Amino acid sequence: MNRIGSKSMASLPVAFAIATLLVASAARGDETCNSPYMAKLIKGQEDYVYVWTLGVEGLGDGSDKLVTVDVDPKSKSYGKVIGQVSVGTRGEAHHMGFTDDRRRIWGGGLSGSDIYVFDIATDPAQPKLIKTIKDLAVKTGFIGPHTYYALPGRMLVQTLSNEKDKGGVTGMALYNNEGEFIARYAMPTDDGGDGYGYDLAVNPTRNVLLTSSFTGYANYMRPLGELIKDEAAMKRFGHTMVAWDLKAMKPKTVMQVPGAPLEIRWSLNPGDDWAVTAAALTSKLWLVRPDASGGWQAKEVATIGDPAKIPLPVDISIRRDGKGLWVNTFMDGMTRYFDLTNPQAPKQTYEKHTGTQVNMISQSWDGTRVYITSSLLANWDKAGADNEQFLRGFRWDGKELRPAFEVDFTKEKLGRAHHMKLGSKVLRTAYVAPAPPAARAAR
Amino acid sequence: MVIPALAALLCLAGPPAAADRAKDPPPMDFVLPEPGTYALQHIMRAPDGPVLTVDGQLANLSRFTRERITLLGFIYTSCTNPQGCPLAYRVFDRLKDEIRATPALKDQVQLVTLSFDPARDTPSVMKRYAGSQLEDEGGLRWFFLTAPSAHELLPLVEGFGQDVQYATDTSTGRPVRQLSHVLKVFLIDRAGDVREIYTSTFLHPRAIIGDIETLLME
Repeated sequence: MNRIGSKSMASLPVAFAIATLLVASAARGDETCNSPYMAKLIKGQEDYVYVWTLGVEGLGDGSDKLVTVDVDPKSKSYGKVIGQVSVGTRGEAHHMGFTDDRRRIWGGGLSGSDIYVFDIATDPAQPKLIKTIKDLAVKTGFIGPHTYYALPGRMLVQTLSNEKDKGGVTGMALYNNEGEFIARYAMPTDDGGDGYGYDLAVNPTRNVLLTSSFTGYANYMRPLGELIKDEAAMKRFGHTMVAWDLKAMKPKTVMQVPGAPLEIRWSLNPGDDWAVTAAALTSKLWLVRPDASGGWQAKEVATIGDPAKIPLPVDISIRRDGKGLWVNTFMDGMTRYFDLTNPQAPKQTYEKHTGTQVNMISQSWDGTRVYITSSLLANWDKAGADNEQFLRGFRWDGKELRPAFEVDFTKEKLGRAHHMKLGSKVLRTAYVAPAPPAARAAR
Repeated sequence: MVIPALAALLCLAGPPAAADRAKDPPPMDFVLPEPGTYALQHIMRAPDGPVLTVDGQLANLSRFTRERITLLGFIYTSCTNPQGCPLAYRVFDRLKDEIRATPALKDQVQLVTLSFDPARDTPSVMKRYAGSQLEDEGGLRWFFLTAPSAHELLPLVEGFGQDVQYATDTSTGRPVRQLSHVLKVFLIDRAGDVREIYTSTFLHPRAIIGDIETLLME
């Protein structure tokens, strides 16, 4: 494959002259959980898993970093770290998201407000940090950027907290793909709204944006053991989801969903108009769907593990056909599979202990490959031997999760493994061209 | 892969036959907000650069994206995917009829179709592609443009964020001589700011008309 390196345009006339141009319509979903505006789905074998990793003091350079792991089983470096790019500071790296053209990854840290932009199109195996956006707090008053959700030509960022009191009342910030600020949107505090934020997810065919709610900096930066003993602080968790008019970016329906509803997943099955979420503190699955009056309603539909033991469901991953859902619970280190054939009555059909602590879970488009990471938050992760930090790859045959590889993030001096995104070597941009003939001849 | 000769034949065929096969976007199962009750954000400045008209005249793109509200879409005449360029053509065609039938809009809007493929889509090819759409009926303009070269097209493609990538032969894993892009249509205000970007899931004429009316109320 030609190395497509710099922004030279030498080959473009040739490329355009011979182009039989294919147009991919905007797909309804990424590898099952990303923005429906995201292009370039990886429907075959992914080559890389990018892991947004929290730095640990005294481990490697101690900074947050984007780590590239080779996950192509045919590769000689399968299951190995093949790249890492440090941001040079430690700021509670948490989530990340692709721009709509999948040329860049935006990631951020919860302890501040900086947002890092990585180029993954020039060389998908070796992302490069190309920009740090530093005006989030100044422009919005919000801190703790969490979810990065691609809209056409822009990125909608859900934050968790605010600069003023570091509580949970927060909002969303809209940037264009070049990282220029466009607008802010406050989470609703009237009509039952708590003003809190966590995840967001769009269904363009219904003109709806769903948001969920977690807690603010003052809580998520405290040690978990200390926090759960603070009765007043434990009341400061989100208990709402909001359905927004996407076009107008105005809240339309506030739904009461107690217990900190976190990740939101729309069914990608054409024609479906429902989404699910997991409430962390109550250990419940909730279904969000339209009501008879044209609004939206949330309904508790299943229990995850034993809520009395606070298993703490964290990440969920929906199958591309909407028929099944993976649920990771942090405290007991379990990965559970729910049959979603009837979304009003999900049934757990499988479970496996996949780590002493597990957080994020992602699956390939065909569902046969499942990836799990370990870290929740620096001050919430377990201690001692239970503080495993890893990326684990599994094969799923519909009956059993079988280990395929593991990267020990402590042994590799990387840090705490958190959010994952899938990458492919074919997703190089065509804007850039092979080196000119003279340079090629000199190699 | 469609061989170049076939593609060349397709591009001689004038307006895209595939437009008739283009599926409409998913139905809108919702009520759109009333025009003027919401804000369209200033997403970015519309980039500028040299283009060629169907008569081969050199001009800046800004000549066709200012003063009126502009809808701009990238196409290439050999595109055969019904949900790509032909869909954009079909939606523009419908919009043209709706705008011409609305006195308040017809002198306020212009359509721009800009080719991705300057090597193949010469001004004369674009003229054939445009056909009768070039006729200025009822005050609505529809411009069909191409770039003098890929070199000069690149800043426009980059500036609009209209990504193009190589396709890959899945049997060998090697890139093949095909390019792909995601359908986007850009709504540009009279001052030259991009105010909305539509993909195939939101490319509804009614939604676009509502946005145009919203801009006219500013």
